[in-house]
Amino acid sequence: MSLIEGRAVCRYFGGVNALANVNFAIEKGSIVGLIGPNGAGKTTLFNVMAGTIKPTTGRILFHGEDVTDQPAYRICRKGIARTFQIPRPFGTMTCLENVVVGIINNLNGPYVKSDVEDKARIALKFVGLGDLIATEARNLNVVQKKKLEIARALATGPEILLLDEVLGGLNTQEIGEAIEFIRLLRDKQNITIFWIEHIMGAIMQAAERVIVLDQGTVLMEGTPREVVSDQRVIRAYLGE
Amino acid sequence: MSQTKKICCVAALAIVLLSLLPWSLGVYKLHVMIVCFFYVMMAASWNLIAGYTGQVSFGHAAFAGIGAYASALLSLKAGVSPWIGVILGTLIAAVLGFCLGVICLKMGGIYLSLTTLGFSAIIQIVIINEYEITRGTMGLQVPGFFAEYSKLSYYYLLLIGALITLAVVYAAIHSRLGVNFRAVQNDERAAASLGVNVVRVRVLAFTISSALAGFAGGLYGHYLLLITPEIPSLDQQFLVLSMTVIGGMGSFAGPIIGAFSLEILSEYIRVYGEYHVLVFGLVALVAARFAPRGIVGIAQDIGMVKRLRRLMAPAVRGRA
Ligand SMILES: Nc1ncnc2c1ncn2[C@@H]1O[C@H](COP(=O)(O)OP(=O)(O)O)[C@@H](O)[C@H]1O
Ligand SMILES: [Mg+2]
Repeated sequence: MSLIEGRAVCRYFGGVNALANVNFAIEKGSIVGLIGPNGAGKTTLFNVMAGTIKPTTGRILFHGEDVTDQPAYRICRKGIARTFQIPRPFGTMTCLENVVVGIINNLNGPYVKSDVEDKARIALKFVGLGDLIATEARNLNVVQKKKLEIARALATGPEILLLDEVLGGLNTQEIGEAIEFIRLLRDKQNITIFWIEHIMGAIMQAAERVIVLDQGTVLMEGTPREVVSDQRVIRAYLGE
Repeated sequence: MSQTKKICCVAALAIVLLSLLPWSLGVYKLHVMIVCFFYVMMAASWNLIAGYTGQVSFGHAAFAGIGAYASALLSLKAGVSPWIGVILGTLIAAVLGFCLGVICLKMGGIYLSLTTLGFSAIIQIVIINEYEITRGTMGLQVPGFFAEYSKLSYYYLLLIGALITLAVVYAAIHSRLGVNFRAVQNDERAAASLGVNVVRVRVLAFTISSALAGFAGGLYGHYLLLITPEIPSLDQQFLVLSMTVIGGMGSFAGPIIGAFSLEILSEYIRVYGEYHVLVFGLVALVAARFAPRGIVGIAQDIGMVKRLRRLMAPAVRGRA
């Protein structure tokens, strides 16, 4: 059984078919890239998977269980975490408090404040925000806000992490480090990664499979190599 | 933690001063202080929902009215002691707050404001028109807490009531729940994506806040000995709102400062007629626009500027 599966997922916004009959399946422990031109429906698919918005029709299955009608907070507690393409930090709260939110709403044991804060500190250090623990999130720059998105999402203890364009604003070296970081998440913490990215090189290096969306439908799916040499993909990206 | 220690010191000092203060006050000033305590309770509990979760309720005065009339009627019709009456009045306000919260907080945003505005109007109309039970605008005579009426006893009672309210608010905002309050206020969608049950958090905040308003109303009613539909009026609501906004929404000290300063100020300007609520409302509007963190925010900003100056001073001198 796949870890997470989408069946005939459709989402309409007025006349726009952001998602039109999308089918996909992601295996546990894999790194899967999601690519496609602007407006292809990638973010909308993440929103639907995370329960942030509901599909017009279609189903999302997690561990074979239909979670389509569950509210976002329950989907998170089941083990699906996501970042937002445009970061949505809790601006008036410190970085530490931002991460604490993710931890305290996904506790299995009793609540011990000092333990929670230790855990949050570790999560922040892990993404490279160790020096900004007490900084209010609104004072971060965009790259730092994206790191905070990841720290918060990881703090919920997910089985699968949905990353929405987290590499924007990084230089070549930092991109390399970020790819290492994402691999580490999968290898050491056994977190499945579903990853939207514009930077093709990064996807090519890290992902094992790639799904290509175009105008709300799956254009093709395959290994990175297959995808970049496919005529339809090249046309979708280059031909207008 | 020096921050916590500092807060404890300030609180202890304030409590000692406030317990010694009445020996130097006359009857009139004692009364003003008692009313201040009532408004501290009202503003601090309204701040919990409005300042910490960003949900503006217009039903806070109505819940105070529910607490006051529930306790009064229980003691008048059922012979319940006012002490028990206040507790029951608090519970009734909590239950009604919970029901109202469940009905309209799912929708979020402006719906709580609209629903509580309507609720508030209904409560007042019912109290005015159910003359047989509530004596309408004539007012309902209610028994006091003490066999012998003394302003001093009420001073301490309301002081303790205010301390209880502040303790509950403090505990709420410094608990796990408080972190969720602020997360929800900042960004509901992001909060939900991190596992926060947004509706539950909002309903809880509204229930606690409404219960505390009921508690305040109950105590106040048995102090006044005559309760009227003035307690659950929109005038009262806007006064509480103004106190919180001017003092500083979303800060612990803000509503306390706002309640004392506006209540004492309104005693001075009352001679010019009952326009003070209107004036406060206008000032609150201006504050919300230009100083959204109120007096507390302004004080913090001044403190920051001073600290910066002190830090800069050696550098400036060095250059000269
Ligand atoms: N909340 C919304 N309301 C209306 N239209 C939307 C909304 N969200 C997305 N869309 C539309 O759906 C399409 C897909 O958007 P999106 O999923 O953000 O694309 P991508 O992330 O692939 O760039 C776009 O045409 C976009 O304008
Ligand atoms: Mg997008």
